[in-house]
Amino acid sequence: MSRASASHADRSGNLVETHTFFQPRVFFFYLVVLALLLTLAGGLAYQQLFKTDIYHEAERVQNQRRILVPGPRGNLYDREGRLLVGNRPRFAVVLYLDELRTEFRKQYIQIRKNYREANDKDMPSARQMERIARTTVVQRYLDQVNRAIGRTAHVDTTDLMRHFSSEMLLPYTLIDDLSPEEYAHLIEHLPVRSPLQVYASSTRAYPYKAAAAHVLGFVSTTVDLEAADLPGNDLTTFKMKGTVGKDGIERQFDNILQGQAGGTIFRVDPAGYRINPPLEKRLPVQGKNLTLSIDIDLQQAAEEGLLDLIGAAVAIDVNTGEILALASLPNYDLNDFTPRLSFAKAQQIAESGAWTNRAIYGVYPPGSTFKILTAIAGLRSGILTPASVYDTDGSFTVGRRVFRDHGGCVTGEIDFRLAIEQSVNTYFYYYGLQIGAETLAAESRRFHLHEQTGIELPNESRRMIVPDAAWKKKVKQESWYPGDTANFSIGQGDLQITPLQMACFMASVARGQTQTKPTLIHDPKRPKQNSEPIGLPADQYQALIEGMERVVTKGTARRFGAVEGLRIAGKTGTAQRERWKDGKRLGMLELAWYACFAPIEKPEIAIAVIVEGDTPDESYAGGAYAAPVARAILQKWLEKKQRPAAAPKEPIFKPVLSQ
Amino acid sequence: MPSRRFDQARPFATLAIVVLVWLLLPVAVKSFLRVSFFEFEAPLEVSASYARDLQEYWGLRLHSNTDLIAAGRDMARLHAAYDNNIQQNAELRGQIERLESLLRLPSFPEYRSEPARVVRRDFSAWWQRVVIRKGKNFGIVEGSPVVFTGGVAGRVSEVRATTAIVELVSSPNVRLAAVVEGDTRPMSYQGGINPSFAPPKGNVEFMPLDIFATRTAPRRLVTSGLGGVFPPGLTIGYVVSADPSTDGLFKTGEVELDSRLSSLTEVTVLVPLEAN
Repeated sequence: MSRASASHADRSGNLVETHTFFQPRVFFFYLVVLALLLTLAGGLAYQQLFKTDIYHEAERVQNQRRILVPGPRGNLYDREGRLLVGNRPRFAVVLYLDELRTEFRKQYIQIRKNYREANDKDMPSARQMERIARTTVVQRYLDQVNRAIGRTAHVDTTDLMRHFSSEMLLPYTLIDDLSPEEYAHLIEHLPVRSPLQVYASSTRAYPYKAAAAHVLGFVSTTVDLEAADLPGNDLTTFKMKGTVGKDGIERQFDNILQGQAGGTIFRVDPAGYRINPPLEKRLPVQGKNLTLSIDIDLQQAAEEGLLDLIGAAVAIDVNTGEILALASLPNYDLNDFTPRLSFAKAQQIAESGAWTNRAIYGVYPPGSTFKILTAIAGLRSGILTPASVYDTDGSFTVGRRVFRDHGGCVTGEIDFRLAIEQSVNTYFYYYGLQIGAETLAAESRRFHLHEQTGIELPNESRRMIVPDAAWKKKVKQESWYPGDTANFSIGQGDLQITPLQMACFMASVARGQTQTKPTLIHDPKRPKQNSEPIGLPADQYQALIEGMERVVTKGTARRFGAVEGLRIAGKTGTAQRERWKDGKRLGMLELAWYACFAPIEKPEIAIAVIVEGDTPDESYAGGAYAAPVARAILQKWLEKKQRPAAAPKEPIFKPVLSQ
Repeated sequence: MPSRRFDQARPFATLAIVVLVWLLLPVAVKSFLRVSFFEFEAPLEVSASYARDLQEYWGLRLHSNTDLIAAGRDMARLHAAYDNNIQQNAELRGQIERLESLLRLPSFPEYRSEPARVVRRDFSAWWQRVVIRKGKNFGIVEGSPVVFTGGVAGRVSEVRATTAIVELVSSPNVRLAAVVEGDTRPMSYQGGINPSFAPPKGNVEFMPLDIFATRTAPRRLVTSGLGGVFPPGLTIGYVVSADPSTDGLFKTGEVELDSRLSSLTEVTVLVPLEAN
């Protein structure tokens, strides 16, 4: 062995420990190492075999994003298939930010380079430069659009940054609600494969503008979307704005009208940019359509009749209870609600009092229209007969209070029919006191005037009052006086009902029954309404109807209520209500009522109209103010009946691209 | 042995080097090379086209004198008819101008017609193009509409010195604002995925719901004129189906295009006058 190799052997002997025999101490370390290795292997196996699903799920949630797109709402049609509420396509030009990743990066580098070259001491932070880069790139694309359609829009940096931070996977809207020309121009000028695209969404459109505004209701935007059949509820979800019904039918039947949201699931990269193609995709589906019982011709006739007035009118199908028209004035143009109601418009609506649906929410003393119920109560109780006569001098004294006839023009012997025809208060005071408040109240409840009708609209009033002694004691802590009964018998005092209730009452009387359940949904096969009979012998019922017919032919509604070729049974009414402002009594406001049904020989339509006086102590007689509105409805109804409409067309909505 | 192995790998190494050099080249140089390549290629294509024309010429020379006389007579008739149409058009144009000035309507952009021979057709599922024998030398500009006897042929997508590339209306890269004849609401037309030798088709989107079209009752689709590129009223094709989209907002439809698009020999470029 050479000297060198001997030296190597010596060193190796020093460096490498060799074991030529069994050493228990080392064996112990072997065991420790083995145990540690086994622990590691076990841990690895545990993580890989048993916790795979958990990690897989965590990876999925981290790497996938879901985008939900609302489905358009269903349409609303009138009973003849005419579109009342549809969807108008709304075109916007949008920018898909996730396709601009490279451009953002290049712009960022460029900005940084410029600052460095300029040796600017106030060089912005990386975050600020990123913000500048993003705005610059987006503005560059917006300028392309501006050039194409001749606009001068600018990027809102704050809005853009908010979009980046919370909705990056959604397209960023550069310009909304394009006109048809702009939309057409962009289609031809934008390259097919550009991050700039024309995006179509839907917005509510109301071809009849303000007609039936309170019935149809309106929608507001929401991001509360759910896509039932799209998986990934646990994923980070971006939601495009949808709509939710806020009033009227839109709110009441929101679950039916609401479209089914569609959606897409994308895989994203660590920076949050989408990776195409999508993993899952569902198209949005339009909500179900609804056909309402409203006849838009009658509705418009009612609203035209009430134009420039404050009031409400309800027309109802006597046999089915379907509402043919339900108008409340003042109203508002529903198109003002799309895409959103401006503050100024909202204020204007509030100041005019147009938010209130007077037909179902307004409660008013029914005035002399209530005399029909007093007459029924009297006839049923036997106190009144068609032959009952009262000799009046135009005044009636109860206790120390003198009640006078309205106008005081009818004196002498008044019979049952004449009392209705001329709306003679003293006749009803006299017999009303004999009938009694309890009987009147019971009869009112028999006609369901004390409760909601159950119409399919939100906010139907619960404030209707059928007063009696117990009610007065409980609410006013006062006793019931004969004067209260006198007032009650002519529909004054504390009695309060809605115009809808009055229309239902009239429909019930027309059918010879006591309850009419109104509905706003049209069903050609809807059965006839059937409730407790009115409980009057034929001759008494006939006398009542004759009295009501004479109201229109000779009585208080003869000038403004009659319609040629139609036999109408009606009753006018005028009630008073105190007007207060800032704690100061301004005087009495008059309320003009008119309720009727027609044709007498086979009743089909019942109407109730109320017009609110707006000037204290100014006369608003029912015959002069409310009857013309009912006449306008009846004229339109008769005109349509004599000239039946053509077969319903297929309800198609012509999208209006610009308003 | 190693040198033999290198010899075997030499083509791959060369390719790798070329690719590397191409990747490292500045963008400006790459663009210049691309343009130069096409410009050098253009004379070959144009020459081939002229050769085809010559071939056609000699083919026609084989016709008898009787045939040629008959063709000449037909052509004379056609000329007379066209002369008449030109006069009528001039009269109508005068009326339109008067109405426009009376009603203060904006005038549609005017165009200069530039007929051009097709020198090459380039069809695939992803694009449908033709190369025409006129380019910058005839003032043709990018984006100009191109028409043929059947209506819209396409749009100029690239202009070179002596040639231009026309993206045909059947190409998925062409989109334009269209209307159904007799309607004013614009919709979006886009060429479809058209395999070679298949009848050309396109698609129409954002079609209003009250427009109906079937194969037995097709609707003529024409340019809207609203997009600012194509003049109004040019035939694009016929809508043969219209199906409502699930969201209930619009319909989408299939458009059958003129089958002559796949055998174009002559087109007319409408060069906007303001472009010159």
